[in-house]
Amino acid sequence: MTGPAQPTRNHTAVRCHGVTKTYGQGNAAVQALRGVDLEVGMGELLMLVGPSGCGKTTLISVLAGLLQRDGGDCSVLEHDYKQMSLPETTRFRGRNIGFVFQTFQLIPALTAAENVATPLLINGVKWRAALERAGAVLRSVGFDDRMMRSLPADLSGGQQQRVAIARAMVHDPRMIVCDEPTSALDSESGHMVMSLMRQFALGKDRVLVVVTHDARIFEFADRIARMEDGRITGIEDAPSRGNEPQRDP
Amino acid sequence: MNRVALKMLLGDRTKYAGLLFGIAFTSFLVTFAASYFGGMMTRSFALIAENPSADVWVMDPAVVAVDRPINLPTADLSRVRSVEGVRSAVPLAVAQAEVRFPNGGFQSFQVIGVDDATLTGVPPMNGGATAAVLRAPDAVIVDAGGTSGKLETPLLKADQWPRGRPHLDVPTRLLMAGDELLVNDTRVRVVGQSQALPRFPPRPLLFTTYSTAERILLPERRRLTFVLVTAAPAVDARTLAARIEAATGLRARTSDDFRTDTVSWMLVNSEDVGDAVTMLSIAMLVGFGVTGVMMFMFTNENLKYYAVLNAMGASTRSLLTMICAQAAFCALLGTGLGLGLCVLAGRVFASYDFPFRMMWFAPAIGGTAVLLVSIGAAAFSGRPVLKMQPASFLAGR
Repeated sequence: MTGPAQPTRNHTAVRCHGVTKTYGQGNAAVQALRGVDLEVGMGELLMLVGPSGCGKTTLISVLAGLLQRDGGDCSVLEHDYKQMSLPETTRFRGRNIGFVFQTFQLIPALTAAENVATPLLINGVKWRAALERAGAVLRSVGFDDRMMRSLPADLSGGQQQRVAIARAMVHDPRMIVCDEPTSALDSESGHMVMSLMRQFALGKDRVLVVVTHDARIFEFADRIARMEDGRITGIEDAPSRGNEPQRDP
Repeated sequence: MNRVALKMLLGDRTKYAGLLFGIAFTSFLVTFAASYFGGMMTRSFALIAENPSADVWVMDPAVVAVDRPINLPTADLSRVRSVEGVRSAVPLAVAQAEVRFPNGGFQSFQVIGVDDATLTGVPPMNGGATAAVLRAPDAVIVDAGGTSGKLETPLLKADQWPRGRPHLDVPTRLLMAGDELLVNDTRVRVVGQSQALPRFPPRPLLFTTYSTAERILLPERRRLTFVLVTAAPAVDARTLAARIEAATGLRARTSDDFRTDTVSWMLVNSEDVGDAVTMLSIAMLVGFGVTGVMMFMFTNENLKYYAVLNAMGASTRSLLTMICAQAAFCALLGTGLGLGLCVLAGRVFASYDFPFRMMWFAPAIGGTAVLLVSIGAAAFSGRPVLKMQPASFLAGR
């Protein structure tokens, strides 16, 4: 079902209107976003889908404060990045946004627990306390003590993505953005990862925006926004969740 | 976050080893060059060091270093002796002479003529002999003075004092007591070898009495080079030097001041200073090349992780601090390794009589060089972090 870009859950976490973004200048200019309108509510898992180059990653980069939009209005967690300095934006990201990257991007020299502890260390938590908290989160995604001490290279793809998810939520951010979180995983691992995301990462005070090509995980979305050529062409409820009542965290 | 930075550094063992090598190399080479230079400078005032009983050195007013002597009239010795506060004053003659060896070859020597009565300034002798052997007629003591192979004389009698052509390429042995040499056509007899401090520049030495020196050296109107003064009890050496200068018009320097004068003169005038500076510059350039490139490669390869950290909220300042922490860690460890290596190499070099002396400033210069190299390497490798766009790494690019 296509419909207006309206949130289906609590109050609005993301509100964008007419957002544009262009890379390069002159003849080399590429308009990646051509007026994106989008609203995402707290407690919602929104999937952004569309062909390669349609602007999905650019959009989540703008939502996460990694890229500055060129035009339009955009409020994320009631903050407008255009009104913030670069250090303020960086600090805001550190406190409020978690990231799950396509290729996990775990630091190879750090153990699983140390990788998960990184956002806490960035926010000034002491080493020991950060590791304790990281350990607790890793246990909740099925890691034992031995696995926590493993380096990323010693973990399977699914395990690495679980570490990445734990890292994204260890500091209790209000928004988590995921870029192709299952593209490097087999079907079973992808399902397991998305189950974890729903189970642990999503709450009524948190919003998840997931960029994906992977139709196998659409069932985990609350809504699916389709993008094409720098615009959102339609938003629909996910097939199996359209009539699902709102969950408690 | 610095702990994370160090773990990242230690996790990449190849580059970590490369960084350590670069810094240890810089530290080693710079400290070694500085120590070698220190050794050369120390040897430049060996004559002063060999006369510890002299509180004050008196010389011609134009003399600025111990190796740049201008002779005085012999009467000046008496003028110095007459100054109040002088306990004793003895003459010292220093001159160059071409010495003919028994095989017919020549070798340039520095002739040092010491006071006949006290024999002050004769270094310790080999084989337990004493300076008193110089009291024999025409006696000289020879010393290598930091050279090697310059005190060789023919092994066979048949090759000594040959008629006709000199016997240069014949089996040789070291000069020893009983051998004879010709100094300006005057025959002298070797009475032993001494263990004088090596000189810089190295040169063979010939110690004899002042009176013998006067006799064997080419005649000059002035022969006295220095007057070595011992201060009377309770007389300060510097005060005495000032008093001698005022009374005689000669230049009088305490031993310490004269050493400093000599080193200062060497620093300004010696070509070896330029060589040492060149060596230091090359060491620093090579060190910076290795360290800077390794650090840059390390940072560049980890750029995506720095971008991830930046995306997760680490400020640019925090990331630069991480890079500085990595550079500082390598600098500390590399300096230690370099200094340790330098001490070991120095021991080996010193055992072969090379002018190696690690004075307090050598590690300080090495540490400063490492600091500069590390700051340069950190700045060089910090640039990509300043210019990176974390968004470009979001999709794993």
